[in-house]
Amino acid sequence: MTKAQNLLYATAVGCMGLSLTANPVQAQEEVKRGGTAVIHMISEQRTLNPALRASTGVYNISGKIMEPLIDKTYDGYVPVLATEWSSSDDGKQITVKLREGVKWHDGEDFTCDDVAFTAMEMWKELLNYSSSLQANLESVDCPDPHTALFNYSEPMPLDLFVAAMPDLGHPAPKHLYEGTDILKNDHNTAPVGTGPFKFVEYERGQYVLAERNEDYWREGYPYLDRIVWRFIKDKSAAAAALEAGEIHESGFIGVSMADVERLSNDDRFDVGTKGYENNVAHSTVEFNHRNPILADVNVRRAIHHGLDVDFAIQNIMRGFAKPGRGPVPSVGGANYTDDVTTYPYDVELAKKMLDDAGYPVKDDGFRFKLRHRPAPWGEYTQLWGEYFAQAMKAIDIDVELLNNDAPGFLNGVYRDHDFDTANGWHQFRSDPAVSTMVWLRSGLPEGSPWTNQFGWKSEEIDQMIDDAASELDPEKRAGMYHEIQRRAMDELPVIFAIEHPFISVTSKKLMNHHNTPRWNSSSWYDLWLNE
Amino acid sequence: MTTAATDLPPPEPSRPVVLWRRFRRNRAALLGLFLFTLVVGMALTAGLIEPNDPLRRAGVPLTAPFANWDTPLGTDQLGRDILAMLFYGARISLLVGVVATLISIGIGIVIGALSGYFGGWVDDVLMRITEAFQTIPSFVLLLTLVAILGSKIEWIALAIGIVSWTAPARMVRAEFMALRNREFVDAARNLGVSNTAMIFKEIMPNAIPPIIVYASVVMALSILLESALAFLALGDPNYASWGNMIGQGRAVLRTAWYCAAIPGIAIVLTVLSFSLLGEGLNDALNPRQKK
Amino acid sequence: MPLPIPPILSYALRRLFQAVPVVILIMIGTFLLLKLAPGDTVDALVGDMGGADAAFIERLRIEYGLDQPVWVQLWRYMSKLAMFDFGWSFVYEQPVSRILMDRLGTTLLLMATSLSVAFTIGIFLGAIAARRAYSTTDNLISTLGLIFYATPSFFLSLMMILLFSVKLGWLPVGGIKTITGFYTGWDHVVDVARHLIMPTAALSLIYLSFYLRLMRASVLEVAELDYVRTARAKGAGESRLMVHHIMRNALLPVVTLLGLQFSTVLGGSVVVETIFTLPGLGQLAYQSVIQRDMNTLMGIIFLCSIIVVVVNFLTDLLYARLDSRIKLT
Repeated sequence: MTKAQNLLYATAVGCMGLSLTANPVQAQEEVKRGGTAVIHMISEQRTLNPALRASTGVYNISGKIMEPLIDKTYDGYVPVLATEWSSSDDGKQITVKLREGVKWHDGEDFTCDDVAFTAMEMWKELLNYSSSLQANLESVDCPDPHTALFNYSEPMPLDLFVAAMPDLGHPAPKHLYEGTDILKNDHNTAPVGTGPFKFVEYERGQYVLAERNEDYWREGYPYLDRIVWRFIKDKSAAAAALEAGEIHESGFIGVSMADVERLSNDDRFDVGTKGYENNVAHSTVEFNHRNPILADVNVRRAIHHGLDVDFAIQNIMRGFAKPGRGPVPSVGGANYTDDVTTYPYDVELAKKMLDDAGYPVKDDGFRFKLRHRPAPWGEYTQLWGEYFAQAMKAIDIDVELLNNDAPGFLNGVYRDHDFDTANGWHQFRSDPAVSTMVWLRSGLPEGSPWTNQFGWKSEEIDQMIDDAASELDPEKRAGMYHEIQRRAMDELPVIFAIEHPFISVTSKKLMNHHNTPRWNSSSWYDLWLNE
Repeated sequence: MTTAATDLPPPEPSRPVVLWRRFRRNRAALLGLFLFTLVVGMALTAGLIEPNDPLRRAGVPLTAPFANWDTPLGTDQLGRDILAMLFYGARISLLVGVVATLISIGIGIVIGALSGYFGGWVDDVLMRITEAFQTIPSFVLLLTLVAILGSKIEWIALAIGIVSWTAPARMVRAEFMALRNREFVDAARNLGVSNTAMIFKEIMPNAIPPIIVYASVVMALSILLESALAFLALGDPNYASWGNMIGQGRAVLRTAWYCAAIPGIAIVLTVLSFSLLGEGLNDALNPRQKK
Repeated sequence: MPLPIPPILSYALRRLFQAVPVVILIMIGTFLLLKLAPGDTVDALVGDMGGADAAFIERLRIEYGLDQPVWVQLWRYMSKLAMFDFGWSFVYEQPVSRILMDRLGTTLLLMATSLSVAFTIGIFLGAIAARRAYSTTDNLISTLGLIFYATPSFFLSLMMILLFSVKLGWLPVGGIKTITGFYTGWDHVVDVARHLIMPTAALSLIYLSFYLRLMRASVLEVAELDYVRTARAKGAGESRLMVHHIMRNALLPVVTLLGLQFSTVLGGSVVVETIFTLPGLGQLAYQSVIQRDMNTLMGIIFLCSIIVVVVNFLTDLLYARLDSRIKLT
């Protein structure tokens, strides 16, 4: 990679230096073939077609069945269904060479027609996140069956294209989709791909089963005979299933934090954050700046001083987290700085600041009241919301928690703006430009979840965000993000209180697990079971 | 059960005394009364245990019971005092129970009385509505109502009332159907008593005993429903409720069992007390079942 | 057999006819109710996806017909339903009819096992309690039944999982079958049965106390009736009396309860199915509510109404049969 690594994923590579390279076979163990790996999923997947829905839940299953053009490893971007890629001088045409001799699971050849069809009909039209990325895609030409030419009306940076492919670049078989109602095609829930595992069945509410693809293009792979993904909604039941040996891996914090801590002391399991370098999250406190009290920066600062973040990290996240330092997390590579204002826990200072801001304690014992919407994402998010209320009462701010289910919460915060404060967690996706900047940028359409719907508007910061996004020099760009981070920590439009990674609990029987930065989404062709 | 007109010998004990004698014959019912008194006692003295806020941080999180006398029953993940939450939780349980019961029985009485008294098309229409409510799984209806209204404790109580009125309605209706053609009702009607007066003064008092018994069922049910909602993370987090305590405690069930077990026991005993109380009242108010 | 078939049939048919407006009422009510809830299925979907851009969200809404006024949506739905077309689930990306068929089996199985366990043990214990009314045995049985009822089912379920799956390793944690067992025939039956033990126990304990109490009361009441007294006076043995005279009559209200309980059990199974990850209608209903999956929820409610109507119909027939036998004695 020579050019500026702007946008998607780029920075994550920078911090991968010390990580182990993906070794297909661990030296001391001889690979055993066969067996069934059973993987825990918290929620049911509506569709299994990654060309129609970009989400880690879909990749977690379909990533083994359908493959992307390009994947990402600790060594950088590696070819999968593509073998080479290059860009024209004006940046308006990207040429992708496709792997030859690859067959779909139903025996048809994988060709450029599939890529062209999927790109135009799904990536551009129907895939969330991708539709804006591919908005300028005009056509995909196929000069021969194994060359795809992506034609754009505006220059498309090659690095951005490549960085997007692991998630947003899964071709689907044209011969099964053409001429059908794509959204209602049966193959969306019974995917046909080119991957190491073939879809067998999806029992709603129970499991998805996939079996070894005998004709996989990587000779000799995969090792496993089968993979089963079991849906277990209840985190306590999932922990029990892990201990009973019924499941081998639970990712994305699929058990309660207390159980994460407990199982990390159990020598049957590997518990850790490796393999999530692309996925870090912040537990937040969000302000509705339409409320004049919260529009006062000193009130927001006082609130931050009132939050005992270390207490929350120890008791809610069981130590698996660190204090947040603004919109770029510590794994953000060059774009991250810790040279920012911090707000140590200090109840007396918080009270004094609120007094000074003109909000003394009134007769009812409180300064003012906040209507707080806690995100219903379960366990630790729920506790964080309750902790917020508890902490605010200690500095004489009354908090009423408005508990709703997910649609009610999203509607209340992001469409109706009917809240004073809210909390949740938000994923950082390797580059601030495509993730956390949406928390600060104004003018985003109403109703889009996980964007700035807080009434926060700073023309200066808007300008800084836009400049940084189009800056091609990585060093300058990093400097700009440091500045944005400093401003965000000074003015606190959102409190990025806790930075926490995702955590997997994995049975030690699984070998070669978590050996890529997007492991749960990857194809697991080299995963094997030692039993 | 007769009206005052009959001649009674002077030493006949008053009605409450009779009821009490019948009630106390059932030893299980006495246990129920004892537990019930205990729960009411907890609700009344909650303010003495913790004068301020039961949800404040009172100690080191996940302190075991009996380890620190400031928090005798230990603390939860956020350092909240389990004893204080338990006492305040009694308030919430009783509050939800009483409000839900009043709503359920209120709706039940109105619909049942109208239906049973007037009969005909009024009965037809109201009974179709009742059947509709009975057909929808009540817990699913409850979830839907909570999804609409949000998880405020008032709304939860209202929603529980709304999903549990059909049984009292049918009870009252049956009672009215049976009574409306009896002699004393006919007599009153001949005397020109109005429909309203007839319903409330003449017939209703006879329908009350089974309703009182049913009230204990709704009380018990409402506590169980509230805890099931909390289990699904749809409880009201602004209050210390037993359901919320179990709901959150189960995340630490394996390392700090007491967080879920203590409120769990409280729920079992309280629901048990209402049920036993109901049995006792049934014995006292419907003596015809007795030997 | 002097079974009065024609009157029963006409009665049953009349009930069936009466059920039609009830079902329509239920469907319209449910539809409007879910529309009152904040947010729609697109919110839920986008939330699940981890976000999407505004144009994408708008497109989904149009695709799903959610941009139309509620009345139009309702009319579209009801006119399809009239042709027994349950529509499409945007959450599961499948026709609702297929989802329902997939789930119905599990739910019916769970209900059948739970209710029969609760019913059998309940009437047995209830009869014993009634025979020894107001004795210590009676108090013990009644209180035990109430304790079962008073224990929140999720609490009981978690405890059972800890004991039987984690500590003892006897029973599977959840699911309906061993996924990679590929059992057939008798092995499959045994496998499914093993998976059903804990959920059945959790669910039946709730309903056990209903049957127990009802049976007890019912036996006590019947025992006072004239014909039983007569039989006793004639010197019929107590156990013969119990089986032939009392039980049969006392079962009536119990059977009625069985019919009325289908919906209640479906509601009660929400939590149990969630913990044991059983792919039944209860869990599906809960998911449909929080996903605002209108068509699926409506489908469940409709199915439920039909089942209740049919079960009531059968209960009527059964009732008449039990009743007629009694008249014969």
